[in-house]
Amino acid sequence: MKFKSIYNSERILKIIFGLSLFVVLVMGGMSYQLIKKLSKSFEDVQHTYQIHIELEKLLSALKDAESGKRAFIISQDSTFLEPLLSSQSELESSLERLKLLTKNNPAQQKNIAELKIKIDKNLEIFEKTLGLALANKTDSPEFISSFKEGRQTMNSVRFKIMDMTTHESEELGIRKAKSSKTLSNAPMLIYYALIFSLLILLLTYLQISKNLRILKEKNELLETFKESTTQSEIISKHGNWIWYIEDNTFEYSDNLYRLLGEEPQSFPATLENFMGFVHPDDLDKLTEQVNKMMENEDLPFIHYRIIQKNGSIKHFKAYGKVLIDSDGHKKLLGTTADITDEIENYRLIEERNLELERNNKELASFNYVASHDLQEPLRKIQTFISRLEDKEKANLSDNGKLYITRIKSSSARMRSLIDDLLQFSRTNKSEEAFEDSNINILLETAKHDLAEIISDKRARISSDSIPSMKVIPFQIKQLFLNLISNSLKYSRENVAPVITISYSQTQASDLPKIKFSKHDLYHTISIKDNGIGFDQEYAEKIFILFNRLHNKNEYSGTGIGLSICKKIVENHNGYITAEGKLDQGSVFTIYLPITT
Amino acid sequence: MRENYTYVVLADDDEDDRLFFTEAFEELKMQTKVDLYKDGVDLMNALNQSDSKLPNILFLDLNMPMKSGIECLKEIKSNPRFKDIAIAIYSTSASEEDIEDTFVSGANVYIKKPNDFNILKKILSDVVTMNWQYQTSGLNRDNFLLRL
Repeated sequence: MKFKSIYNSERILKIIFGLSLFVVLVMGGMSYQLIKKLSKSFEDVQHTYQIHIELEKLLSALKDAESGKRAFIISQDSTFLEPLLSSQSELESSLERLKLLTKNNPAQQKNIAELKIKIDKNLEIFEKTLGLALANKTDSPEFISSFKEGRQTMNSVRFKIMDMTTHESEELGIRKAKSSKTLSNAPMLIYYALIFSLLILLLTYLQISKNLRILKEKNELLETFKESTTQSEIISKHGNWIWYIEDNTFEYSDNLYRLLGEEPQSFPATLENFMGFVHPDDLDKLTEQVNKMMENEDLPFIHYRIIQKNGSIKHFKAYGKVLIDSDGHKKLLGTTADITDEIENYRLIEERNLELERNNKELASFNYVASHDLQEPLRKIQTFISRLEDKEKANLSDNGKLYITRIKSSSARMRSLIDDLLQFSRTNKSEEAFEDSNINILLETAKHDLAEIISDKRARISSDSIPSMKVIPFQIKQLFLNLISNSLKYSRENVAPVITISYSQTQASDLPKIKFSKHDLYHTISIKDNGIGFDQEYAEKIFILFNRLHNKNEYSGTGIGLSICKKIVENHNGYITAEGKLDQGSVFTIYLPITT
Repeated sequence: MRENYTYVVLADDDEDDRLFFTEAFEELKMQTKVDLYKDGVDLMNALNQSDSKLPNILFLDLNMPMKSGIECLKEIKSNPRFKDIAIAIYSTSASEEDIEDTFVSGANVYIKKPNDFNILKKILSDVVTMNWQYQTSGLNRDNFLLRL
């Protein structure tokens, strides 16, 4: 997320950079404009002064002519008349220059025209006065009047020139006022722009230093991450590699070298160098897989073996994924793990499994064959006894009869032992045997099998309705058979057995024994009787094979029945518990998981 | 075409069982004729003779040397000449597999050898007097194993 903010601020920085570039450009343009204006106004001032000077010159030329004339009139010395000639031509050229200077100002042009007329008139009077003076008629009234007129025109020329000077000054004033507004604002504007760009620079600096700090933090994080990756590589025995596909260059992590039995970075990371370690039998397969990796982006694990320099063979598992980075470069990111230990363990487990399976099979067949083949001679013994009893009873002494009775009961006991053992060995779990079954019918069948003893003992059996379940039907029937016959067998003397079979459902969390079951809810079937019960301390023991609480003379029993019950319930992923109270009765409870 | 006696044949390799079998029929005093064979090979040789008299009921032990009961059963069922012979399996074992296999192969009834002579007598008397027409026409898996 922070990286993203850096990318964002990179954009902001670009914008700021563009902005400051623009501001500097604007400032440059403004300064150029300003200097241009300044030089223009300087030119204007110079122009005005030039006009002033020209006008001054004009006036002084006129004055020179006038004073030369006066000096000549007083002194009658013709040398005083010499400057007149030069001042006359100077007047002409001065007027020409003035015309040129004011060519853009019609008002001044008009003034110049009027001035020229006045000057011409003045010169005319001047010629006339001079002519009179040369004729020595200085005392004549004509001379005096023209002299006076000359002074008047001279004054009007002077006024005109003064007028023009004022006009030019005014003109300059207007221009000054016009430009002074922009000229006085411009430095302020430039100053503001400067401050603005300085501010931007400052902001940029802050942003850059912030980014640098984040980068530094990220760098530290990366360093830590790299360290932990290295550590995890070593612990979990895997190595990482990167294949830069376009350049066909590789990068191996240190641990990949270690997995190959080499020092980190001890040889150049290339495909050829790596393939040099691969087991010759796996080389073709791996090459093919690597080529596939280039085509597909996602691939399953590749398994192959390598041979280390010391000759030991290791099993590797590799996974690669093509990544395209932000610049569009293709690279293959790979992880290779040393799974030699796993494979060894797996092999060991498999071997042990096979051995166990073999043992189990042998045991089952031994159990089956033993009990089955034991039945054969026993059956004959029993049949011969029945023959003896029928045919020879009369010929036997009382002792002989007693012995026959004893042989009979012993062989009967042996039969029930063999039958139960056979039953126990047959109580196996096979998934195919599970089917949806009506439990009530199975219960009825069990009761039917026990009908004789139930009526003999005048037992009363009541039961709830039990929902259908997916079970191994004959085993559940056997379960009911064993539990009910158990209750009937261990009934109290002179008390008719009352057996109550009830159904409910129990939350797994309510049962300490099955708290961590993967099933939430359990079918709960309990079989309660009013028999002799048992001491609660034996509650676990009674389910163990051949464990009996009573002498076989008191109650017949093989000690297998409840073991079969336990096996059946466990075949159904369930649990069976027993509760007993001596001389009051016992409750057997079966918990079977509710599967959906 | 039934004669005035029932012709019963037993194939069993166990000498004692053959003894019990004959003694039981002797004591039962029924209109029967009993012949014994000591294994499957003997039995099939006798049956396969073209002029042999065919039994009404054949009792077959399963576990016999050379030729087992189930092999005999399959051979008999594949030969149309023997289609009228009622076959009773007569075995020590009552394993589900054996019961299933013989039922599927076409046996008519399955008898688990009893451990009491009197029960044996009752079973044999029941089997001989059984209404075979009924037993053979409606093959019923539930009644297949004879319970007493």
